[in-house]
Amino acid sequence: MKTLSIDLVAGIVLLAAALVLPLTGMDYLVGIAFNLAMWVALTQSWSILSAMTGYVSLGHVVFCGIGAYMVALTTGSLPLAASLGFAGLAAGVSALVIGLPVLRVRGPYFVILTFGLAELVKNVIVQIETGLGQFSRLIFDAPPLNSLYLVMLGLAVAVTVAAVFVRHSKLGRGLIAIRENEEAAEAIGVPVIRLKLIAFVAAAIIPGIVGGVMLLRTSYFEAAQAFDPVISFSIVTMAIVGGSGSARGPILGAFAFVLLSELLWARFPQLYMIILGILLILFILFVPRGLSGLLDRKEARQ
Amino acid sequence: MTILDIQGVSKSFGGIKALSNVSFTVDEGSIFGLMGANGAGKTTLFGVIAGQIKPNTGSVAFRKQVITGKRPDQICRIGISRTFQIVRPFAGISVLDNVIVSALYGAAANNTHAEAREAGLAALEAVGLADAASQMAGELTLSGQKRLEIARALATGAELVLLDEVMAGLTPTEIERMVETLSELRHSRNLTFMLVEHVMGALMQLSDRILALDHGVPIAIGTPTEIAENEEVLKVYFG
Repeated sequence: MKTLSIDLVAGIVLLAAALVLPLTGMDYLVGIAFNLAMWVALTQSWSILSAMTGYVSLGHVVFCGIGAYMVALTTGSLPLAASLGFAGLAAGVSALVIGLPVLRVRGPYFVILTFGLAELVKNVIVQIETGLGQFSRLIFDAPPLNSLYLVMLGLAVAVTVAAVFVRHSKLGRGLIAIRENEEAAEAIGVPVIRLKLIAFVAAAIIPGIVGGVMLLRTSYFEAAQAFDPVISFSIVTMAIVGGSGSARGPILGAFAFVLLSELLWARFPQLYMIILGILLILFILFVPRGLSGLLDRKEARQ
Repeated sequence: MTILDIQGVSKSFGGIKALSNVSFTVDEGSIFGLMGANGAGKTTLFGVIAGQIKPNTGSVAFRKQVITGKRPDQICRIGISRTFQIVRPFAGISVLDNVIVSALYGAAANNTHAEAREAGLAALEAVGLADAASQMAGELTLSGQKRLEIARALATGAELVLLDEVMAGLTPTEIERMVETLSELRHSRNLTFMLVEHVMGALMQLSDRILALDHGVPIAIGTPTEIAENEEVLKVYFG
């Protein structure tokens, strides 16, 4: 309970700072904060499925891409809020359709299948766009950065609250049982297929909306970019660095990742991916439970 | 009163008949033993009852309701739970959390966390694991993990509990304690048990009735004394 209230205070301070930030008028900082909120939202949503059930998805970007595409198609003809809602809905419905077959396989097969599926969807949409004679779509009249930032912040907060809620709910306990041993979970009455599907769909909706907001920020849709697998890899990296044993892990991971990226990009752009790779290996080897695991240990000692 | 009614159950894996035309009934509140050498079909029979294995023919009825074809989680919520011969603890969470999930999702369907916690603690108490509640399940000894299997089955609120070799690998002292625990549970919780056991002493001591299987074929059914004197059983066991 004590750590929960410390986390709550830290969260409120962080949120207050995040809300004040646009008032400074420093677009550079708001841009960084936008990225931060985006990665928190993506990694947190990923952890609802992958950290809780142990079904590690390497294709989470597919939902961002679907959301972005929906917004690219509907913006201009629909109000923006409806467009974004539609993006989340489309991502959720896609998850519902692909979830049943995909969630039948486990372990490395699931990892590879999700990756392959994301690439498949990307290429299908590239083909559709090529067939339509569209190589990229420009978005006109996208809202200013400050408004987009607040929407992204709202998404990050919403998914974090949802993640905390799920972790302490009956659903969360069922998902953890599935992660620990699926046959045993089923034998004690956990409806494993239904729960996995619920987690899969829940984890897809937010990235769908995030993808839409990302698109408005770049104001330009290109399938290869919207479905870039590096986004999926980054999500997994942040979950590993931050740790996914608690809802604060993805937040710590996103902070570490975004701050490091900013530093490295500015000073050693040519070493960026190399240093990031080394860091990932070091974390997997020496800090398997991530930054939040380190904090847990420190608190346990006090 | 019959709690479980098995009629004409057969199951083949490839060309091998794991169960052929098995029929029997289990009385409510009794302990029903299954005996037979390795490969006799005991665990397969548990799988058929608990829903992990679909029989080729035959039916399983629990309190007159046919449950053949239902999923394991549905069967659990109807009131049957099983343990696994090779233990399957939720190793990365605490012993108490292991049983809380059972209490939340099983037949008892405790709705609040407090209710589930209470039911879970009671189940741990019943198998003598209360002291280990906050320990990680993966850190328990084998004997502890076997007890946890039983506690998790109990916490579901099942009326019929299938115990698959819960005494294998235990020391004689631990077996003695397990036998005590089971006979106590049967009365205090008014449970019906089915028991697969290689520890013959314990099986004879606990069971009201025993079914002997040989390569999936039922060869004898009766009280422990009748089984011990049955010629067919003696022939299969001692040649």
